[in-house]
Amino acid sequence: MMSTEHGAISRIWNWRITAFCALILLAVAIMAVSFGPISINFFKVFKTLFDLPGGSTGQDRTVILELRLPRVILGALVGAALATSGAVYQTVFHNPLADPYLLGAASGAGLGATIALTSTHHDLHAALPIFAFAGGVLAVFTSFVISGKFFADPNSLLLSGIAVGSFATAIQTYLQQQHSAALRPVYSWILGDLTSATWSVVAWSSIYIAIALVILFTVAKQLDGLMLSDEEAYSLGITPKRLRIIAVAAATLATATAVSASGLIGFVGIVVPHLVRGLTHRVTNRSLISIAMAGAAFLVLADLGARTLLSPAELPIGVITAFVGAPFFLVVLRNRRKVMQ
Amino acid sequence: MTISVTDLTVRYGEKVVLDDISLDIVHGKWTCLVGPNGAGKTTFLRALLGMAPYSGSIKDRGHEVFKNHKRNVAFVPQSPQIPQGMTVAEYVMLGRSKRDGWGNDSLLSREYVHKVLTQTHLFGMQTNLVSQLSGGEMQRALIARALAQEPELILLDEPTSALDLHHQISVLNNIELLKENGVTIISTMHDLTLAAMFAEEIVVIKNGRILLSGESNFVIHSSELRKAYDDRIDVYTLESGRPVVVAKKKGLI
Repeated sequence: MMSTEHGAISRIWNWRITAFCALILLAVAIMAVSFGPISINFFKVFKTLFDLPGGSTGQDRTVILELRLPRVILGALVGAALATSGAVYQTVFHNPLADPYLLGAASGAGLGATIALTSTHHDLHAALPIFAFAGGVLAVFTSFVISGKFFADPNSLLLSGIAVGSFATAIQTYLQQQHSAALRPVYSWILGDLTSATWSVVAWSSIYIAIALVILFTVAKQLDGLMLSDEEAYSLGITPKRLRIIAVAAATLATATAVSASGLIGFVGIVVPHLVRGLTHRVTNRSLISIAMAGAAFLVLADLGARTLLSPAELPIGVITAFVGAPFFLVVLRNRRKVMQ
Repeated sequence: MTISVTDLTVRYGEKVVLDDISLDIVHGKWTCLVGPNGAGKTTFLRALLGMAPYSGSIKDRGHEVFKNHKRNVAFVPQSPQIPQGMTVAEYVMLGRSKRDGWGNDSLLSREYVHKVLTQTHLFGMQTNLVSQLSGGEMQRALIARALAQEPELILLDEPTSALDLHHQISVLNNIELLKENGVTIISTMHDLTLAAMFAEEIVVIKNGRILLSGESNFVIHSSELRKAYDDRIDVYTLESGRPVVVAKKKGLI
């Protein structure tokens, strides 16, 4: 793999891996649009999507373009956002178990959603994404402020994130106990689902997620420097504090958007980065684009499972990500250990 | 061609770590900072790197060093952060980021890393994970990354502290290689015998102040050095003329 050629070490990252992830994402997406309670021919789907002659018409066309396509795209966006944020958090905090919800984004968003759902004004229910988004961003911001010295030490930020998260969860539980009628919608939101996907949800969430991902992909190569101590990173030309703030802010924007669009979908942020790194034997953040595409493919596939396995009923997507992700993850971990030995 | 340090003071909160230091460090030489723990040696290195905020001035070839990313300075820390899952080749390649731009892997860089790995006897281990290297191998990987950087100045914090005698000499020889290419070396070192053996200039620091600086043979035999260590060291001279510094034990001559 990293053999030598002409007295030079081989490239650290290979574009073929990125291309492979892109192909998988495309294949999974077309498959997800084709399958469902109404099965539609693969080629017809392809032709409809690219507006070629011979595409579906009538009801099939509506199912493809108005129901399945926005859902697949939202799934891909959320998957990409969570996987990329997870990978970035793992690098910034030197912690392989860091996930996008670490700094209180999930609990904050959960609290925001609960406030919206338990509110007596029913108009507020529709504003759930805004509440969730604000809650998530506010929780992470609070963690920043409490950790003091504005991010001198990643560990203190991590600890204050945990404290803020617990606090938000406590308030959330209190509110839920007070309004038992809201328990069910809150829990179904917590388990995550993509049923709310419409073009308008896709439109607003894609803007924020795209901004965040573009920022993260731009700094991706430099993020490798954050795996070292601050002095070493600085000597390699990085300003570590500034880069950390940029990376965490962008990852938080992506996470908060994903959470407010689809609830709390667990496991993607941890499993997918490790999966890509484990399969390629490369820890470098140059894999960030591949991780994003793998995350997108993973979530689209999980959502396909969620809406077809118990069809016409739907499973919460979080159940699928954990059910499929966990064993797969363990196999990769095991193989990686074998390679190390 | 000097690094001119004038009235340098560094504080951590209320605590004064470096107290009004003035010193000229000549480029192209190996200068070693010695002194007891807590003297301020590592802080001095951080200030020279341009990372620690200071008052006074540090001018490298006439330019203030604070947050000056135009200089190419390599830093070898005493206890590096070891990146999980990173291979030796990836680790050493990071050293090329300033020359090459982040993550470019140009052919020139890949050839250079190949050369550096061979020089530091790490070739053949390039696919090993850095987290699984022994102490000596890790130290060589650190030096290799610094070499790959092709720096004008290299700062080393206790480059030999975790190593056995054999590896100490091999690492110090690797560092000396740099000097042949005109690189300026500034290191801290606990082992005064080794400091005298490799460094040309020695600076004695205690409680954030410079007690003495000068040519290493002169400094090693000075009373200021003994004073820095509270008169708990003895200096002997071998037949070859090399000085050897040993700790005193009460009751022994």
